[in-house]
Amino acid sequence: MFEIARFEGRHRVRGTALVTVALGGFSLLYVVLFPTFAESLGTDIDELLAAYPAALQKAFGIQTLTSMEGFLASELYTFFWMLIIGLYFAYSAAALVAAEVERERMDMLLSLPVSRARIVLEKFASLFVPLLALTVVVPTVVYAGSVAVDYPVDPVALVVFHALSVPYLLVFASVGLVASVVFDRASLAQRASLGLLTGLFFAESLLTDTDYEVVGVVSPSRYLDPNAVLIDGEYAVVDAVVLTVAAVALVALAVVLFRRKDIE
Amino acid sequence: MAAIEVTGLTKDYGTVLANDDLTFEVAEGEVFGYLGPNGAGKTTTIRTLMGFQSPTGGSATVLGNDVTDESALIAAKRRVGFLPSNPAFDEQVTGREILDLHASIKGDERREELLSVFDPPLDRKIRAYSTGNVQKLGLVQAFMHDPDLVVMDEPTSGLDPLMQRKFNEFVDAEKADGLTVFLSSHVLSEVRRVCDRVGVLRQGRLVTTERIEDLLDRTGKFIRVRVAGDVGSDAFALDGVHDVVCSTTEGGEADDSDGTGDEAPDDATTDGPVTECTFTFTGDVNDLVTRLGEHRLVDLDVEEAPLEEVFMRFYGETDV
Repeated sequence: MFEIARFEGRHRVRGTALVTVALGGFSLLYVVLFPTFAESLGTDIDELLAAYPAALQKAFGIQTLTSMEGFLASELYTFFWMLIIGLYFAYSAAALVAAEVERERMDMLLSLPVSRARIVLEKFASLFVPLLALTVVVPTVVYAGSVAVDYPVDPVALVVFHALSVPYLLVFASVGLVASVVFDRASLAQRASLGLLTGLFFAESLLTDTDYEVVGVVSPSRYLDPNAVLIDGEYAVVDAVVLTVAAVALVALAVVLFRRKDIE
Repeated sequence: MAAIEVTGLTKDYGTVLANDDLTFEVAEGEVFGYLGPNGAGKTTTIRTLMGFQSPTGGSATVLGNDVTDESALIAAKRRVGFLPSNPAFDEQVTGREILDLHASIKGDERREELLSVFDPPLDRKIRAYSTGNVQKLGLVQAFMHDPDLVVMDEPTSGLDPLMQRKFNEFVDAEKADGLTVFLSSHVLSEVRRVCDRVGVLRQGRLVTTERIEDLLDRTGKFIRVRVAGDVGSDAFALDGVHDVVCSTTEGGEADDSDGTGDEAPDDATTDGPVTECTFTFTGDVNDLVTRLGEHRLVDLDVEEAPLEEVFMRFYGETDV
């Protein structure tokens, strides 16, 4: 068991190292910048923000920028973590099956005595390499940085946020996986899943208080709120369960579709 | 039990009927050549046998396991080796890592032995592999777990002539050990060398399955004869002669410049007109020798009819 996951996972180590170093560096930059930002603008920044359209504030998760927690929740977590890193997982997952089919490598894999379900699941499992690396390194860097600049964040809230974001990122990855099984070209699967997820991400905030608000229900970003976790200490466990169920359902859908698929 | 059993197998892609009601068997220990021009539907059958796609009609078994039953087919695949027409591996990894992955799933009791015959550069990344090296790696993974049946789609494409010969010798040795081989090809010379029996596919339909000797016997010999003198094409009109083509060239023109004009040939190759005839002969060889004896021969070639000619009969006749 797990031979394919190990093989795929090993070849994700390099890419994972790059992404982790890049995002770790970004996180540190934000943390280190915050004191300068806070001390030069003071509380004026929130007054300035009040003049922004509500939808824009919501889209970027801006609640307050006067505290380290609020600053990180909007600047680092809402945009970089929930959107960019989310899309990174969708993008990686979208290539898992489609790229193998496109490059005619799937035949070789299917000729092995393994089930199609196992191929899909083990390939998906290889994404846990970057998922675990980012989930361990980023909060560590953020916490250490915040202590170093003397604006320490609550380590428990930080850990809880990252724990809750695991099912969130898995939903992004599983959307990519479904696209990867549906399309025979990796670029198509990637465009389709990134387009859908980006649309849902902004729809959730931009459609609030409109007749189309219901669309936001299917947006993963509705079920993870860094502001609530980091500033208010509210841990939405039910939302995390919703995300977990969605991720499992999407992976199951991908397995069912792949089992029925003619590989041509 | 047949190693492969195909019954009424049909694959309709909607626009193309790639396999149309195919029925044949491959016996255990047999090397079966699956022949046909490109686009005839050979790969479609192979992909169905390997479970990559499901048939739209009929059924097939591999080592007794239904190809549409995934768990049965997985059991069969432990004993099946596969080489696709265009083997492709992850470009970022080395050949050794590929073999290690395959070994961890299906075993590799014959890896070292195979690597001494086919020797791809194992520590190089696949992206730096030539087509021939990819093919060698494909052959090693196909045989490394000591399978009972090997399915190969165009196996010798991409191998240089030396490797092709090694491949033929290798398949012969495996056959002697009881291996069953199902291989497709449109290169006929490689087929007659290794196959016991062939099936000929044309536009999705099976035209014939027969022993390769029978096919060759039926198609006879290809004769090229040059005889002295201007003989008509009816000089070789006897039973079993087909497709006669004769042409006469005036010999001795070079000698005419000497003004000798001597009609009597003192050297068969230089003087007088020479008639060259080519034909396919399927009759009694003694009749042919008697008839040839009535002429003064300049040259005679007797070859086995090329399979291309044989296939022309299957492919050519109904083509309009």
